[in-house]
Amino acid sequence: MSIGSTTNITQAALRDVQGPLLELTDVRTHFRTPRGLVRAVDGVSFTLERGRSLGIVGESGSGKTILSRSIMGLLPSKGTERSGSIKFAGTEVGNKSRKEMRHIWGKEMAMIFQDPMTSLNPLMRIGDQIAEPLRLHLGMSKADAAATARRLLQDVRIPEPDRRLAQYPHEMSGGMRQRVMIAIAMACGPTALFADEPTTALDVTVQAQILDLLGEQRRERNMSLVLVTHDLGVVAGHTDEIAVMYGGKLVEKAPTKRLFAAMKMPYTEGLLASIPKLEDQSHSRLNVIPGRPPDLVNPPKGCRFAPRCPYASARCNEEEPPLTATQDDPNHSYACWYPVGSPEYHEARARINASAGVN
Amino acid sequence: MRYFFQRFLQLLLVFVIVTFVVLVVMRVGSNNAQELAIKLAGRPLKPEESDALIQQYNLDANFISQYLTWLKNLIFHFDLGFSPQAGQSVADLLKPRVWTTVLLGLYANVFGLLIAIPLAVTQAYRRDRPFDKVGSMATFIAVGIPGIVLGVFLKLIFVVQLGWFPSIGDKIYPWDDLHEHFMNFFLPTLTLTIPVAAIYTRLLRADMVMTLQSDFITLASAKGVPPHRVVWKHGLRNSLFSLVTAVGTQLGALIGSAVLVESLFDLDGLGSQLVVSVLSADLFTVQSFVAIIVLIVVVVNLLVDLSYALIDPRIRQARALG
Ligand SMILES: Nc1ncnc2c1ncn2[C@@H]1O[C@H](COP(=O)(O)OP(=O)(O)O)[C@@H](O)[C@H]1O
Ligand code: SF4
Ligand SMILES: [Mg+2]
Repeated sequence: MSIGSTTNITQAALRDVQGPLLELTDVRTHFRTPRGLVRAVDGVSFTLERGRSLGIVGESGSGKTILSRSIMGLLPSKGTERSGSIKFAGTEVGNKSRKEMRHIWGKEMAMIFQDPMTSLNPLMRIGDQIAEPLRLHLGMSKADAAATARRLLQDVRIPEPDRRLAQYPHEMSGGMRQRVMIAIAMACGPTALFADEPTTALDVTVQAQILDLLGEQRRERNMSLVLVTHDLGVVAGHTDEIAVMYGGKLVEKAPTKRLFAAMKMPYTEGLLASIPKLEDQSHSRLNVIPGRPPDLVNPPKGCRFAPRCPYASARCNEEEPPLTATQDDPNHSYACWYPVGSPEYHEARARINASAGVN
Repeated sequence: MRYFFQRFLQLLLVFVIVTFVVLVVMRVGSNNAQELAIKLAGRPLKPEESDALIQQYNLDANFISQYLTWLKNLIFHFDLGFSPQAGQSVADLLKPRVWTTVLLGLYANVFGLLIAIPLAVTQAYRRDRPFDKVGSMATFIAVGIPGIVLGVFLKLIFVVQLGWFPSIGDKIYPWDDLHEHFMNFFLPTLTLTIPVAAIYTRLLRADMVMTLQSDFITLASAKGVPPHRVVWKHGLRNSLFSLVTAVGTQLGALIGSAVLVESLFDLDGLGSQLVVSVLSADLFTVQSFVAIIVLIVVVVNLLVDLSYALIDPRIRQARALG
C-alpha cells in the first residue's frame, strides 16, 4: 500500500467532477456576542481551480482565519451564523454538520495551523499523530500506517524518520514541527489544503523552506492550496493568485504577477508598502498603514477602508464600492471608487504631496 | 528512576520528622523516666515493672535514642508498643482496623474517579448546555456540604427512617464476607465519595474545558478524528494534572472525614479507635496512628508523583535528565 495509490483514489474521484474545486458565493460568518453581531466574514465570493494556489492576505483581524475555517466547517456551532454557498468539488458543504464534514476533514480538505508549538498533541508520539488519519480514513493496519508515516516524514524532508516517529513534539524545533504538520495534512492525500499563517511563528530562514516545501508538495500532489497570511511578501512568490481581505470582505483579487504590477486598491498599496525590506534594518516600520482595522460589529457605512484611506472622498463614506473586474483583465477585480491610477487618485496624491510640502 | 529514588528519600525524611516530633510532643511533659513509664502504662507501676519498661523502650535516654528504639522495634519486631486502654499490643489492636480506613479511602478515590471522569468529560464536551449546567450546580452543592453533615443526613434517612443497612456482624472485610462488607461499607463509602467525586469533577471539567480550546484539539478534529476520540484520547490525558494533584492533596481531608464517618457508622477503623486512644492518653497507640497515617500519605504521594511521569513524556524526560 503506497500513499500514491490512495492519493489517486480520492483525487481521481474528485477530478472527474467538472468545474472548480472550490466555489464560494456570498459567504458570511457572523458571531453573536454580548457586544453585538461580529461580521467576521461578510460576503466573500471566489473560485479556486484544482491544483491552483490562492493567497489570502490582510491585516490581523480581517477575517482570514474565520474564512478558511468557515470553508472547512471547523467553527463552533454555538453563536455562529453562517450563510452563503460553499461548493467543494461541486457539492454544497456550507450547510453540512460537523458530523458530515468529518469524513471530508483530513481526507479531502486538510489544514495547517499557525503555531506548530501548540498544534500537536504534546502527549502523543509524532508517528501516532501522523498515523491517526491514515488508520481512520484509509483503514490502514498499524504496520501500513507506520510505514506510510515514515515515508511522509521523508517527503517533508525530515532526516532520520525512524527516530523522529518515536519522538514527542517537544523534542523537535518549530520548523520540524511545522514539517510534521505538513506531513499530517498530506497523509490522506487531500485535494485542498488550507495553511493558516504556516510560517508566522517560524524563523525567517525556516519560513522560506516551509513555503517551498508547501509549493513543492502542492505541485507533486496536484492539490489546491489556500495560503492565509498577513504578509503580502509571503504569498508573493508562492501562490498563483492573491485575494486581499479587509474587514471581512475581499477588496481585491488578481493573479499574483498582475496584482504586483497593477494593484488597484489603496489598501493593497498600503500592505505592499508595509512589507519589511531586507535592506531596511530598522525595526520601526514607518510605512504601516495608520489607524486600526474596522469594528466588525459596526463597520463603516461606505467603503470599510475609508477612515484610513488617504484618498477617501465624500462618496467613499456613503457608498460601498462593489467588487468589480478590471476592464483589461477579467481575473483582476477590486472594490474601490478611486483606484490606484485613476484621475481622482492622482489628484488626491498631488494634494497630499502638496500639503506635506507646505509643512 | 533516580528522581523517584530522591523523592522516596524525601518522603522518608518527612515520615521520620513527623513521627519524631510526635514522639517528643507526647513524651516531653514527663519529668523523669519513671513518670514516663507510668504514663505509657496508664497505671501505677511497681519499681521492677517500671524498670523493665524503661529498659525495653530506652526511656531514660534522650529523645533521639528513644526515637531510634521506637523505630527499631517497629522495623525489626513490628512492635508498636501496647495499649493499656485496650489491654493488647498496638499491632494487634490496629491491624484489623487499618484496613477499614484504607478501604474507605481507596473506595472514595476509585468511585470518586469513576464518577468524576465521565461526568467532567461529558460536561466539558457539552459546555454551557443543560447537562453541563445541571452538573455544575450539583457538584457545586456537593462540594459545599460538609462531609459529616452528609453522613448524618444519610444515616437518618437510610438507617433511622428506612431501617436499611442494619448493623450486622463484625465480618466487615470483603475477604471475610462480601455481603456483610457491602452492608457495612455502603453508606460510609457514599458519604466519603460524594464530596470527593464533586471536587474531582469540578477540577477535571475546568482543565478539560481549557484543553478542548487548544490548537491541537482543533487539529485532531481537522484530521477527521471522531469527537469521542478527540475528547477521550486527545483531551482527557492532557487535562489530568489538577486531578492527579488533587488525589494527593485531598488525602489529608479524606482521612479526616474517614475518622468521623467511622464513628458515625460504627465501623471499627483507625478513626474510631483514635478518638478512644486520645481520650485515654494512650501514647503508644496515638504514636502508631500518626505513623500509619503519615505512611499512607507518603505512599500515595509517591504514586501521584509517578503518575505525572506516566502521563507526560516531558516530565519523564526532565526527570531522567535531572
Ligand atoms: N468566536 C468568535 N466570536 C466573536 N468574534 C470572533 C470569534 N472568532 C473571531 N472573531 C473575530 O473575528 C474577526 C476576524 O478574526 P480572524 O479571522 O481570526 O482574523 P485574522 O485571521 O484575519 O487575523 C476578529 O475581529 C475576531 O475578533
Ligand atoms: S473606495 Fe475610497 S476609501 Fe475606499 S479604498 Fe477606494 S478610495 Fe479609499
Ligand atoms: Mg488568523
